Amino acid sequence: MAATADETEAHQDASDPEPGPRRRPGRIALAVSVFGELLITAGVLLGLFVIYSLWWTNVIADRKADREADRVRDHWAHATDTGPGALDTKDGIGFLHVPAMRNGEVLVEKGTGTDVLDDGVAGYYTDPGRATLPTTGKKGNFTLAAHRDGHGAKFHNIDKLREGDPIVFETKDDWYVYKVYSILPETSKYNIKVLSSVPRESGREKPGHYITLTTCTPVYTSRYRYVVWGELVRVDKVDGRRTPPAELR
Amino acid sequence: MYGWIWRHLPGNAWLKALISLVLGLAVVYVLFQYVFPWAEPLLPFNDVTVDNQ
Repeated sequence: MAATADETEAHQDASDPEPGPRRRPGRIALAVSVFGELLITAGVLLGLFVIYSLWWTNVIADRKADREADRVRDHWAHATDTGPGALDTKDGIGFLHVPAMRNGEVLVEKGTGTDVLDDGVAGYYTDPGRATLPTTGKKGNFTLAAHRDGHGAKFHNIDKLREGDPIVFETKDDWYVYKVYSILPETSKYNIKVLSSVPRESGREKPGHYITLTTCTPVYTSRYRYVVWGELVRVDKVDGRRTPPAELR
Repeated sequence: MYGWIWRHLPGNAWLKALISLVLGLAVVYVLFQYVFPWAEPLLPFNDVTVDNQ
């Protein structure tokens, strides 16, 4: 009410033909206008945060991931054959190709902390359970995580994967071709059983060469986890021209 | 608030507008470079792993 009174006063002042010095608005009108400006500022801040997390983090992460990927490829091209078992885990260990996700190749690095995943890569789990790398040749579960949104959003299209779709992991010497056989579209973030070396929730009972992709769901939130399981179909040797396996052509 | 800043900027309207633009860009830079990267892990939007914590 008081604000309205002030406004009427201001209108009366404005109708004054004398263009005198600017009159100071009333205290309440001032408080209301500052409050309004704060609200506008908060709105702009939130908008900027959305732009930051859905666009800018992708720009930064993709730039960094591309640089890292180039380093790994360079390293592979120049490394002399150091024999089997010589695995350079400092740089990325390989690339993940998932044609159904339509995002090209995803560098795979060690760890699933934000410091790793925020660089626009997929990370293999070291905690709570350690991923069994396919390069070891042992039976187990190659467990991976990547961002659904922002920071490269490497698993953004994980919901486009269907049973039977190929997942190909490329290392210096081999193409590991997996086939998706089970999908869990929603599970609790505490459900670490999905990472077991024999993931029973996927319907498998015997040890084998499995791959597990995890990310958050629904998009733009972290309420649940989305899990995709695949099983090794075959291993192709990398040839001199790095010809990709049939699944990627 | 913004009116107060506008009144305290030097120069004519064009210069004020230019300074405002530079100030705005500086604020956006600080937000994108320092504030948002700090705030993001504190917000529950981007956890992708399963764990037992």
